[in-house]
Amino acid sequence: MEYNPGWNSSSVNLLHVRALGPEDSLHYVWSSIGAPSVLLVATSSPSSALRVNWTQLLSPNPAGAVWIEPPDSVVYATAVVFTKLFEFSQARNPSGELFYPAYDLSEFSWDSLSLNRTALTAELRGAPATDPGGAFANGSLAFRLTAYASPGRSGRLPRLLHSAESSQLEFLLAGVAPRGNGSRFLLELATVEAPGAARSLRSHRSIDDEYTPSIFQVLSLLAQPHNSSSVLGFLQWKATAYGSPSPRREDGIQCRAGGLQVASGTLPMASVVQAYFGESLGSSCTINALNVSFGGEEGEVYQEKRYLSWSVLLGFGEPPRDTFSPLVISIAAVALGTPLAMLLLGSCLLLLARRRRYSEYEPIN
Amino acid sequence: MATGHVSRVSRVMSVTCRECHVRAVTCAAAMAEEQRALLGPDGPDGAEGGGGGGSPGPPRALPAACDPRRLPHRLLVLALMCFLGFGSYFCYDNPAALQTQVQRDMKVNTAQFMALYAWYSWPNVVLCFFGGFLIDRVFGVRLGTVIFSSFVCVGQVVFALGALFNTFWLMEVGRFVFGIGGESLAVAQNTYAVSWFKGKELNLVFGLQLSMARIGSTVNMNIMGWIYSRVQDLLGYAGPSTLGLALLIGGVTCLFSLSCALILAYLDRRAEKLLCKEQGKTGEVIKLTDVKDFSLSLWLIFVICVCYYAAVFPFIGLGKVFFIEKFQFSPQEASAINSIVYIISAPMSPVFGLLVDKVGKNIIWVLCAVVTTLGSHIMLAFTFWNPWIAMCLLGVAYSLLACALWPMVAFVVPEHQLGTAYGFMQSIQNLGLAVIAIAAGMILDTRGYLFLEVFFSACVCLSLIAVVLLYFVNHLTGGDLNWSAKKRAKLQKAAASEAEEQERLRRQNEDDLAKLLPKADAFSLRNKYLSKLGAQLPAHYSSCFSTLAHRSVLK
Repeated sequence: MEYNPGWNSSSVNLLHVRALGPEDSLHYVWSSIGAPSVLLVATSSPSSALRVNWTQLLSPNPAGAVWIEPPDSVVYATAVVFTKLFEFSQARNPSGELFYPAYDLSEFSWDSLSLNRTALTAELRGAPATDPGGAFANGSLAFRLTAYASPGRSGRLPRLLHSAESSQLEFLLAGVAPRGNGSRFLLELATVEAPGAARSLRSHRSIDDEYTPSIFQVLSLLAQPHNSSSVLGFLQWKATAYGSPSPRREDGIQCRAGGLQVASGTLPMASVVQAYFGESLGSSCTINALNVSFGGEEGEVYQEKRYLSWSVLLGFGEPPRDTFSPLVISIAAVALGTPLAMLLLGSCLLLLARRRRYSEYEPIN
Repeated sequence: MATGHVSRVSRVMSVTCRECHVRAVTCAAAMAEEQRALLGPDGPDGAEGGGGGGSPGPPRALPAACDPRRLPHRLLVLALMCFLGFGSYFCYDNPAALQTQVQRDMKVNTAQFMALYAWYSWPNVVLCFFGGFLIDRVFGVRLGTVIFSSFVCVGQVVFALGALFNTFWLMEVGRFVFGIGGESLAVAQNTYAVSWFKGKELNLVFGLQLSMARIGSTVNMNIMGWIYSRVQDLLGYAGPSTLGLALLIGGVTCLFSLSCALILAYLDRRAEKLLCKEQGKTGEVIKLTDVKDFSLSLWLIFVICVCYYAAVFPFIGLGKVFFIEKFQFSPQEASAINSIVYIISAPMSPVFGLLVDKVGKNIIWVLCAVVTTLGSHIMLAFTFWNPWIAMCLLGVAYSLLACALWPMVAFVVPEHQLGTAYGFMQSIQNLGLAVIAIAAGMILDTRGYLFLEVFFSACVCLSLIAVVLLYFVNHLTGGDLNWSAKKRAKLQKAAASEAEEQERLRRQNEDDLAKLLPKADAFSLRNKYLSKLGAQLPAHYSSCFSTLAHRSVLK
């Protein structure tokens, strides 16, 4: 984990997280230069390194300012950009959804990253550079990043299962004043895929809600090569956000994903993404946009608590899958096994007893 | 009403047959006289109805609707009796019907929400033993009914006020008061039924009362959400006051039931004066020291009962939101599927009652019911199959269990302890429901629905273990729980002649004593419980003939 490698100012944020494997290494590059974004690069060399040309990166034309050394070790690269935050309210008449002017995340001013190297977390907090409505007077928007050294499960809801190679991103909206009654938020994110791979949104309903009570839907945004069903990378989240810093089940806020759309190259691009993908961004790369909305028809949780947190897991390869916890399996085994065993044992004993009785009676007869 | 369906199994008919004969004889003379007086010289069209009961007055005829001996009047009384329980059954499941609204408006978690059900059960852990006593010795059935109805009413109003003032503890107090009235009201209702309809119509009356209870629950499940949204439209926002108003509107049913209680009290008093009829009694004798004499079989039956019902009623309490969240049902559809258990059990109970009575082999039936329930819980837990299948299975299994389990108590308990056994069974059932309800809420909040369903399945498994144990215990001790009806009938016949002889002798000796000491007999007790469950009893089971088939004869 390194912060602004090769640059000794904290006016801009660039966080590089490297996960080392025996035969490969994975690079996560988080940045708030331009729109908040993350660049994910998988390499086949354990010694691959990130190089940044800072002067070029901070210039208006950053193409080629970020690269991986050695360049031919790169197996797969992708990026996720958080572009806009929309606010809308569903008026009483079902037809009319009133959209307020969107917050463009590339025009936010970001505080310098607060970093916790032991917990491997970092928090990027920001507010719009110009805030005429004063909605952000007492609030902020933040991204909390967590990298993991070992596989496991985060302790807070939604308790996403993670591997050592993945990292979790939490989108936080705290204290931001809603601009209308019953207004809801919608986060727009965009993914960038190099030629040869495409993103698809998959919604999976699982019967297992043990770790995220009452949430059965798992959504994942998978990157797959065109001619194969293997998965290169993923974004995975449960269909819920929470309205409290210490989330409980009843704080749940419904979270829905709109359809995945192919976006034109007009998206406000993050510098670090432009810097890595360079000119190909506009031509050969595919950019997909996805809207994630928070709040249901009657969801006014945000109105009361003024807090929203949404967690999503990013990583390479197949997304992790929840399995039944040992506790559930053991309870089910014991509960089902005992009566069955008793029934079998009991009937055997009864049969045995009966046979013995018959054998005793027979001579008498 | 959930605990209700079974836990409110009726308190028992008090009047033994013999006493009935005695009273019938004494009444017969009076009635003949009365009839002469009523029919009088100028025929039935003489006078207009009204409060004929106020004074014996001059002899005059009553229109059919006012004459306690004629069918129209009895039908009126029957309707009043049925509606007597409607309010409490309707309001019992108000929380289940409005779970999302309650949790959102009162800002409570599921464990606190389920405490609303627990608070209903707590008073009944104790009151099960005293309901009969209060009605017989302290209030009398008329005053008792009015008092218990008032408790129900006040409880519901306090519950609604708690929501209006946004104070959750007040809602819990309301449920507690409501619980004090609710169960005992059911006892009173049954006492009324016995005193008015003993004889042939009794089973039908119990069946109707039960159906009314189911209708109350079903209507509640399907209408409260609508009422809430209407109130919300009216007020323009959703909040504690919306909830409070909706609950107050629901409370109108309690008021309606209270007025039924008042009218019924008046009619009963009037009939008493006209027909020299006595006030109904439950005749229940409860002796807590009997507990130490309970057999292993009885304890196993208790375990089956507690574990089984704990996996059904708290589940229904949480069911609506479960179907919305797991199966993505609309609220209306979720209400409908959540009430299907009640809807199914209304017509199925009589059918299964008859079946179990004809076939016997109670343990096998209980086993089938428990296994089916287990299957449906497992289906709900581990599959996304259409939940209508699982819920219909649950409804069928639930009705079957009620018809097969409760009568078994009468087989393993000597008759003089039957009141205690049933009281005790209801008491620990309420205890179990209260504890499991809170536990279920906590599990849901922390572990989710899968774990909750696994937990309920484990409860059902526990009762399955108890059933299997009961089977073996019964088999080893040569008990009669699992006899077929044929075998029972045969043994009954064989013993009948001998018993009749003894019986006649005994009757002669005890005849005088019997007049002084009414004693509930096991057969009528069992029948009453059976019929409360909706089991249609064969004609020869009619309580008037119960002297012919004493429980002791069956042994």
